[in-house]
Amino acid sequence: MNNIPTSKIGRGAVVGKAAVKIGLKKSKRAIFGGDKKQNNEEIADIIFEALSHLKGVSVKIAQHIALGMPFLPDEIVDKISKSFNQITPINRALIRKIIKTELGSYPEEIFEEFELEPFAAASLGQVHKAKYKGKEYAIKVQYPGIGKSINSDMAMLKGVLKLFAKGDRIEHVVKEVEDRLKEELDYTKEAKNYDYFREQNGNSNIIIPKIEHSLSTKRVLAVEFLDGLSLDEFFQSNPSQEQINFYANLILKNFFETLHSKAHTIHADPNPGNFLFLKNSKLAIIDFGCIKSVSQEFLKDYSLLHQLLIERADDKEIVPIYERLNMIKEPTKEKALNYYQEVIKPLDRIYIEPLFSDNFDFKDSNFSKRGFEAIKEVQNKQYTTVGNASEEILFLDRSLLGYYAMFEKMGAKIDGKAIKEIIINYNGINL
Amino acid sequence: MKVTQSAKEKTKLKILNAAVDLITIKGFENASLREIAKSAGVSNPTIYNYFPTKQKLLYAYIEQKHKEAIEAISKIEGFDNFSFREQLQSLIESELELYLEDREFVTQIADMVFSNSGLKINLLYDTNKEFIEVVKEMLEVAIEANEFEPIPFSEHLPLLLWDYYIMVVSYWLKDDSENFENTTEFIDHSLALIESILRSDIISKASTLGSFLFKRHILSSLNKFTSTKSHFDGIKKRLTKVFDNE
Repeated sequence: MNNIPTSKIGRGAVVGKAAVKIGLKKSKRAIFGGDKKQNNEEIADIIFEALSHLKGVSVKIAQHIALGMPFLPDEIVDKISKSFNQITPINRALIRKIIKTELGSYPEEIFEEFELEPFAAASLGQVHKAKYKGKEYAIKVQYPGIGKSINSDMAMLKGVLKLFAKGDRIEHVVKEVEDRLKEELDYTKEAKNYDYFREQNGNSNIIIPKIEHSLSTKRVLAVEFLDGLSLDEFFQSNPSQEQINFYANLILKNFFETLHSKAHTIHADPNPGNFLFLKNSKLAIIDFGCIKSVSQEFLKDYSLLHQLLIERADDKEIVPIYERLNMIKEPTKEKALNYYQEVIKPLDRIYIEPLFSDNFDFKDSNFSKRGFEAIKEVQNKQYTTVGNASEEILFLDRSLLGYYAMFEKMGAKIDGKAIKEIIINYNGINL
Repeated sequence: MKVTQSAKEKTKLKILNAAVDLITIKGFENASLREIAKSAGVSNPTIYNYFPTKQKLLYAYIEQKHKEAIEAISKIEGFDNFSFREQLQSLIESELELYLEDREFVTQIADMVFSNSGLKINLLYDTNKEFIEVVKEMLEVAIEANEFEPIPFSEHLPLLLWDYYIMVVSYWLKDDSENFENTTEFIDHSLALIESILRSDIISKASTLGSFLFKRHILSSLNKFTSTKSHFDGIKKRLTKVFDNE
């Protein structure tokens, strides 16, 4: 009686079609030569077309890819980024049905008001505005069946991305994204994360909205609605440079504060959509689907490393820490030092730069561009370590780079002093 | 007159509820009209007056659920602004919701329809009047509101959609996923497909080849769906007629 056909044909077909089309483009270029950039744009169009058939999952994937795969041509990352807002929405009939299934009654029976049209897209679903017991809520609703589609979506995306990447780097990134996505499927975990971060929060300028647990399940999350501006809206409101700097520094400080707090856990989703700019210099953090904890042992080394980097310590002092962090695995000391100097150092120099000075201006810094170029360059170097990088380091660095990209977009000035204080203070207590 | 009507309706519902309970416990074959009457607290002549045969009870049950579902969707705020797809999706989901507490009973009906029993699928068609009418209305409104271009064969469409609905119910009865999530998805995806077909001009451009492919596709999926395919012959014949524009 349980032979329900859960066919993958639909998704597979879309993917297959995209892969075939890309194959054609590639061979066309091989035969006719042609403009590489234009070709990339065409390929991007095809990928985008395929992604738009895959509902919410692709949004998440795209976010991670943009951060995790700098080797992709810019035109393609652009295109994937655009898919952020292009998910097929859950229609009004289905929303009623999901609320009924998850909360036991139809929205109109539970809420004083419930807007059947979503006001925002969210990870793996969409968000509706509602009123309950006089208070306003943002109700995040998960697309049904999205859990099952993750596997096939990722498999197909891997196929497409392989066309661009050489070596095994894809597997690593795709696997990690897949794990993250699966974690985000259970909204009750996210509800706990909200509570946790709210309890830990010691910064009065950071607001973590409350959760209405009686209206939250694995697939529905009721979050207190806060009336704030998105990053784009914030810019449209013509903020002063001081305001921009204030918010950027607040975000960066919060990252290091939470990392060095008791549970060494960060909000690891550096997406501008996860911040709301409120009145009175307050900033709300939303979407806690993706958080990351590190071990105390790791954090000690990581902090020490950063202190040494900021103080521009000798390479020989830095290499052993990288070895402890599993970022360098070379057979001899000499090779380890060479690897550090040729591969890690050029990258470190870029990403530690904003923390060096008390006044790093992201405006006109060409930060992302220089970063991506450096990554491309070191990729060509041959070492045994490549591909074995520490997962924790990669995650933290990627989050940090995500924030930097945001600061670049904001044109913000960063004061590294506060960060240095946090790190040195932590090391003083723990080392 | 009105009082009598509502009293009649009450008695009918009482009998139907008793029938669902008893048939669920004892099975359709083993539950007699006499026992159902006793359980419903009505006399034997009364039950025969309402339902001359046990099968009539089943048909009345299906009709009743159509009525209740239509009533439920008409109460949805803003339903008039729903798209045709959203309206149809709400209707089908409402039906399934009503079936939920009687799922075992509905399973019995389905088993009888799709196996060799006295219950003929053709007779099931007599129960679809309410469904067909409301779908027809939704469709007319959608066309009038320019949601779709006028659709060739549109007079056949409500009936086709009823066939589709029967397929959804069969699927749901076999669905063992959590909260029948697979069915929710199945409905959502298949209605998306139906909607895009209605919006495109696939149907109006249906060349001999196009309609042939479409027909083959639908008919073969119907075959896959039933264990004994002979009982879907009626549907198949009618579908064939529609596609061949007879």
